[in-house]
Amino acid sequence: MPAHHRRRRRRFRGRSFPASLPRFVLVGNPNVGKSVIFNLLTRRYASVSNYPGTTVELASARTTLNRQPALIVDTPGVNSLIPMSEEEMVTRDILLLEDPRAIILVIDSKNLRRGLLIALQLAEMGLPFLIDLNMEDEAKSLGMKVNVSKLSELLGVKVVPTVSTHKKGIKDLTDLIPQSSHASYPISYRPEIEEGIAQLAPLIKSSRINKRAIALMLLAGDRSLIPWLSFQLSREAIEQIDNIRSRIEAKFHQPISSLINQQLLQVADEIIHKVQKEQKRERRNWQEVVGRLSLHPLWGIPILLFVLFLVYQFVGKFGAGTTATFMENVVFGKYINPWVTEGVKYLLPVKFIQELIVGEYGLVTMALTYSFAIILPIVTYFFLAFALLEDSGYLPRLSAMLNSPFKIIGLTGKAVLPLMLGLGCCTMATLSARILDSKKERILVTLLLALSIPCSAQMAVILALLAGISFKATLWWGGTIIAVLIGTSFASSRLLPGASPDFIMELPPIRRPQLSNILLKTGSRIMWYLKEAVPLFILGTLVLFVLDKFNVLSYLEKVASPVITQFLDLPSRATQAFIVGFLRRDYGVAGLYMLAKQGQLSGIQIVVSVTTLTLFVPCIANLFVMLKERGWKVTSLMLAFIIPVSLLIGGLLNFILRIFAVQF
Amino acid sequence: MEDRETEEVFEALWTLQENGTPPTIENLSRIAHLENPSEVIIKLVENGTLKEKEGKVFFTPESEKKAAEIIRRHRLAEVLLHEVLAIESPQMESNACEFEHVLSPQVTDSVCTFLGHPPYCPHGKPIPRGSCCSKFQVKLKPLVTRLSDFQPGDEGKIRYIATRVHPRMGRLSSLGVVPGSMVKLRQKRPSFIVEIGHTIIAIDQDIASNIFVQKTS
Repeated sequence: MPAHHRRRRRRFRGRSFPASLPRFVLVGNPNVGKSVIFNLLTRRYASVSNYPGTTVELASARTTLNRQPALIVDTPGVNSLIPMSEEEMVTRDILLLEDPRAIILVIDSKNLRRGLLIALQLAEMGLPFLIDLNMEDEAKSLGMKVNVSKLSELLGVKVVPTVSTHKKGIKDLTDLIPQSSHASYPISYRPEIEEGIAQLAPLIKSSRINKRAIALMLLAGDRSLIPWLSFQLSREAIEQIDNIRSRIEAKFHQPISSLINQQLLQVADEIIHKVQKEQKRERRNWQEVVGRLSLHPLWGIPILLFVLFLVYQFVGKFGAGTTATFMENVVFGKYINPWVTEGVKYLLPVKFIQELIVGEYGLVTMALTYSFAIILPIVTYFFLAFALLEDSGYLPRLSAMLNSPFKIIGLTGKAVLPLMLGLGCCTMATLSARILDSKKERILVTLLLALSIPCSAQMAVILALLAGISFKATLWWGGTIIAVLIGTSFASSRLLPGASPDFIMELPPIRRPQLSNILLKTGSRIMWYLKEAVPLFILGTLVLFVLDKFNVLSYLEKVASPVITQFLDLPSRATQAFIVGFLRRDYGVAGLYMLAKQGQLSGIQIVVSVTTLTLFVPCIANLFVMLKERGWKVTSLMLAFIIPVSLLIGGLLNFILRIFAVQF
Repeated sequence: MEDRETEEVFEALWTLQENGTPPTIENLSRIAHLENPSEVIIKLVENGTLKEKEGKVFFTPESEKKAAEIIRRHRLAEVLLHEVLAIESPQMESNACEFEHVLSPQVTDSVCTFLGHPPYCPHGKPIPRGSCCSKFQVKLKPLVTRLSDFQPGDEGKIRYIATRVHPRMGRLSSLGVVPGSMVKLRQKRPSFIVEIGHTIIAIDQDIASNIFVQKTS
């Protein structure tokens, strides 16, 4: 069975939450304030986990709701319950498989149309729900007024207006949750689609969701339902479903999913016509002005540069510089490591074990120091900055600003995020490539991170070393790296199979970020880092320790030495730097730094060695993440590309610098 | 309009002239989609619609004008089928052959305007200009244009979304971008930014050029 099938299967086995508690599920479009409502309803630490078999984050928390114990689940934002993305699939699966007691549908009052699309789908599914009309204040300031009782009457469900940021209406919402009900709003589609539904319905077994809604998903070509179906239906029945679907689909020139959405939106428009009054009011508040300026073809650019500069100052200077240095040199260097070393030497008088824990490649002295003293501060600051950009609404605008230059090199504006995080820590960045929509883009970004993005730890030493020679040296290094990045991306985006990725991005309004929400998000992401990345740093250190113990490292050094001395014109002692660089990228450059200090490297040799080392293989933890996320096949291909290319570029740079006798 | 047989002969003769092939009766009979082409050709020469000289056939000024209209209908139909409805050859050609006989002058001009007065057919051959094309220079704006041809600030109703990529259409429709929705283009650079109600969406230029909009302001 292919890997993704196995993953899918796991999705449908059993529930992913404790079974005993009644579940209340929050559903809604992206950026409607769902997570704020979630925090208000739960008021405690939420556990964040990936939904089984997927990469989608899911928050859930136990709480007491109207004096009854309950579990509240916050689902990822969706635009439709006929899934078009992994997030939508997860949300649909929760509704289908997790037996929700009631659903709280959060709607942005300004965007009633898109919220009603989901309400109509919930009605079709036959699930009990109520509507939270959130951000009522924003709608009011735009001159929009919704007749709440009329909407409630039309749909047959409770409707509660709230302003979650001011905790307005939350009490009413909590009180009304037990009164969630099934909505009745029958929708009829085109005769051909109705015919398809009629043919499919008898084939579908009963579940939490009405057969009609399942039939619509199947007609829309939702492949993610097939594994669930194959649990309860025979192969013949599934083939029959496929036949019906393709027969109906052939009658239209447009995808059925789009026809269904069209019909739903048309009905939503009819409802809006009855319940909403809108006085056109072109009121420009500061958020609107900032939102427009940040997208301005001209003014948007300085704003973009300023934001990137602030993020760099905050994460690079304050996080990677001040805080990480303090943690490494003082907290770990002066206190933790000496104490642990003393303690281990005293308690465990076996040399092998001592070295395993506190030696050169020790679990505490290397793995924990690295993951807690250096990387943790960097990712913490990065996640803080990231959550701030996300909650303020600037992040998608940043992507929109950068989309066209990124398109030239085969990426979309979204790719700026993992690449930026790579300047902090490439291991984390490779994990975060999950946010990208297409597989092709994820592979490209992983390759670029492994090849050409220096992490902050490495960058600090590189800049110190190059600044010691001349600014010209920094320019040669930076220019080469950027040229390789652009060249690689440009070429591989055209060589890799698959269409170039689509850029469709919703831009939420600019909002004042909420501190509590930012801290909560950052906290849950740090937990994610601790769970996902730290074990890899430990594993990497163990591998190193073993390689060192069996003298594999010195053997590698001997083998690689001729390439380094003859091809790159470097002293043989530089080989060690390249080997160590695989383990800790900054140590590799630090080795070169020592050589340069001892006067063993000329200006050209420094530039060539630093450039080659930047491009050379990523650190061992990054390699593990690549294996985990992309599989061994893609990772081996990438290494088979990176190793010769980095050496060739180094050799070429050496050749050019010598031919033109560049002086540093 | 002429009868179907005449139109087929006109089309064949136009094609021969365009390719630089000698317009002999033999060559004409070979490419015209008719049962007994030489009979029809001889009849047309006899009643003065076409001229004959040394075994070669030519248009008269009037018949040449009529032929240009047929070719124009055929090639516009090809563009419509190919670019907007995303229909590939050979269906494109066979359907265009039917279209050329049934489109009235008004409908032809509407199609031409809808398509933005394309100068070439999908095969790269020139499309004879019609009266709407010259009016276009002065005042007539196309009824329906691509969203990518909108100017910032323009508003309109989505009429059609033409894309071969189905997931793209699904994603657009779930954001409210469906035929019938009102859109407003905010800006074209650095990305296309459109408003649908109170939802703001950024999209690529390629996607914008797949969305056909009827301007309202």
